[in-house]
Amino acid sequence: MEPRPPAEPAARSRQHRALAATLGGALGGAALAWFAAQHIESPADAAARTAPPKPSPILVPIEQRVLASTIVTRGTARFGLPQKIALAPSALKPSPGLVASLPQRNAAFDEGQVLMTVSGRPVFVLRGALPAYRDLQPGVAGEDVRQLQHALKRLGFDPGADDGHYDARTAAAVRRWYVAKQWEPFGPTREQLVALSAAERDWAEAYKASETARSAAGAAALAVDAAQAAADHGLRAAEAELAAKRAEAARWQAGGGATESMLDAERAKAAHADSAAAAEVATQTAERALVVLDPRQPESARAAADAKLQLAQAAARRTHVEGELALQAAQRDAQLAAGQIALAEASLRAARLDGQKAVQAALDAQRLAELESRLGAQRSARLASELAALQARIGVQVPADEIAFIPALPVRVEEVAVQVGASASGALLSVTDNQLAVDAALALDAAARVKPGMPVAIDEQDLGIQARGVIAEVAGTPGTRGADGYHVHVEVRVTESQARIEGHSLRLTIPVQSTGGAVLAVPLSALSLAADGRSHVQVPADGNGNTLRPVVVRPGLAADGYVEITPLDGTLAAGQLVAVGNRRPEKETP
Amino acid sequence: MRHAHLFGSLLAALACNVIAGPPPGTGTEEFGLNPKQLVEAVEKTEGLIAACMRAQGFEYIAADFNTVRRGMAADKSLPGMSEKQFVAKHGFGLATLYTGEAPQLAKGYNPARIGLGEQNVRVYTRLAPADQVAYNRALLGEHGGATFAVALEAEDFSGTGGCTHQAVAQVFQPAQLRAGYYNPKDALINKDPRMKAALARYASEMRSQGFSYAHPDEVEPDIRRRLAAISANGTLTPEQMSPAQRTALKDLQDYERRAAAKNFELTERLIDPVADKIEEEMFSRKAQ
Repeated sequence: MEPRPPAEPAARSRQHRALAATLGGALGGAALAWFAAQHIESPADAAARTAPPKPSPILVPIEQRVLASTIVTRGTARFGLPQKIALAPSALKPSPGLVASLPQRNAAFDEGQVLMTVSGRPVFVLRGALPAYRDLQPGVAGEDVRQLQHALKRLGFDPGADDGHYDARTAAAVRRWYVAKQWEPFGPTREQLVALSAAERDWAEAYKASETARSAAGAAALAVDAAQAAADHGLRAAEAELAAKRAEAARWQAGGGATESMLDAERAKAAHADSAAAAEVATQTAERALVVLDPRQPESARAAADAKLQLAQAAARRTHVEGELALQAAQRDAQLAAGQIALAEASLRAARLDGQKAVQAALDAQRLAELESRLGAQRSARLASELAALQARIGVQVPADEIAFIPALPVRVEEVAVQVGASASGALLSVTDNQLAVDAALALDAAARVKPGMPVAIDEQDLGIQARGVIAEVAGTPGTRGADGYHVHVEVRVTESQARIEGHSLRLTIPVQSTGGAVLAVPLSALSLAADGRSHVQVPADGNGNTLRPVVVRPGLAADGYVEITPLDGTLAAGQLVAVGNRRPEKETP
Repeated sequence: MRHAHLFGSLLAALACNVIAGPPPGTGTEEFGLNPKQLVEAVEKTEGLIAACMRAQGFEYIAADFNTVRRGMAADKSLPGMSEKQFVAKHGFGLATLYTGEAPQLAKGYNPARIGLGEQNVRVYTRLAPADQVAYNRALLGEHGGATFAVALEAEDFSGTGGCTHQAVAQVFQPAQLRAGYYNPKDALINKDPRMKAALARYASEMRSQGFSYAHPDEVEPDIRRRLAAISANGTLTPEQMSPAQRTALKDLQDYERRAAAKNFELTERLIDPVADKIEEEMFSRKAQ
């Protein structure tokens, strides 16, 4: 700025102030004008500003599309249902063995393959519904044997007749199977051989005893005959003795008279002898009296007289006694004769009884011998049968712990429950079949719309999984197989899968209803309900779409935000516009 | 002329301040939302999460605002313990309370579980193990990202994934999904020279303690990153970690406690008073 002369500073200052005031006034006026322009508006402007915006419908085209109502849920894929593998204890082995080798998890096994080894022996996988519960050996029969025969046949080893009997042909097939798998067939155990030897010995002894008993029975029969003969002989002897006694008695009676007369005779003899002795005593008494009365008689004569008297008296007593004895002897003889007959009769009876007893004893002995013979024969036969059975069982056999029957093959190992070296008892593994399935749970209302056989799209985007399946089973009641009480278990059988999906959680999309083909469809928001209860859509009445006219439609299946429509008055076509709402000022977003 | 400019500027500033109110996005809630906007955003996001989860075949009940709010409030909070006590004992509760479990299965402190809501926790616990993994992958993403409530509280959606990320991407602005996003209000405050001076002092004092942080908001994300590196994005439980990982986790826990305590102290002493002052000056006059 140029310097000005100092004489005019006051005037210039006034000019500046005037200019500043003018400028300030102008600026203030402009600001006020601007402010007024911003805030002062006419009632018409205010009405126009506050008036609702002109309706501006949002129009979308009617589409021709297939509508499908789907149920989306989740499920976890698995291989069949896990089943535990436990080995039945074998009676052919003293104790459960030790696990020598185990399969890897997810390893697959088909029929005839060795699942694991236990104490150097294999555990084969065979197909069969009945679990192995006993040792299969020659001589046994049953459904498990039939399962084994079927398995052998499938594996190419002909077991003979399909009869459920483990016979020599079955054993031979088992032998060929083991050898083909490079395992030694399980032959007879030491215990079985010892038992066989003992059975042979027992049978030999029993046979010997049986033969001995049979001989004894034969001898007993002869002994019965001998006893019968002896009895007959004894009886006949007794009868002869009796007859002899009777004859003798008769003869004695006939020769000597009756017994009473014999006794009378003896009495008479005794009386006579007594009388004679008494006469002698009387004589001697008289003579002694003569001697005693005769004084001349010497003393010796008296003594002699006394002695004679005494002798006579003694003789008299002896005669009396003899008479008595003779009488008694006679009586005794009479009694003896009667007794001998009775004795002979008794002897006869005794001989009869003895004979009967001896015969009976011989018969009893015979029956006993025959019984022993019969028992001996039976025991011998039984032992022979047992021996034959043992001999039949001596062959190739399949211990119960070398076979695992599984209903469906192939299987894959789901879980290994033990380690190498552990005792092979209890559950060792769990396996599943090879059929992939997905377990899911649906809410009660959704489950009611799902039926077996429905197709299912299976996917998991994050894992890049795409698969297909069908509904295999819908549980009849909620709360089963892991589902809670408000959900129903659903099993989906996987029919097509390019990737390994087991163990993964997967999305299951189940189309439960479909239009079948392409139909006219509009967004749900295009459909409205009129006062008369009919559904309609709004279509532009003119070219610019400012006015709308309703078209009555019948709504169909709704899915994915669209609804199928069928026009009831007028026509609608794909591509034709319908209103889904009105434009509004942009809403402020966060 | 100078006077005229000055006058005009004053007039214009007066007019703008009186008429327009605070700039947009400078609300008092997270991401600069006002309370109403926050409620709307939360409910819209939760609805979108539920729809996304349904499409994945999972049941998810959209959490209401109060539930999400409780999850947000549970951050660095335990019953009977002030935030200061919590920080002193557990730091940010990241490495110190790390279990490696899914949030739904957490027994103790876990804001994520609270923010998900009890119904969703029950839904999760009823699932099979494989479905639980898939559920959280669908909800939180491949690497088990933050739940909506936790991310909202941290004003950091960069760690979200899965349906949560899809939902917030539809509700919030793209810029708000980026790591290091500052809402307009905080950005304005950070630009203030007084705040810059306070942050310089903060950085200096943190450095003197061996921590290299220039802003309080850098500490927690850094520990989160370190924990993710040790725990393979939260997929390892401490029992599953190698000895070296366990040692690193223990070191990180010690570091977290020290860093959080110092951060808390400096924030209270240096940052908060300045921020409060600036905020007061900036937003004391409300819009018409």
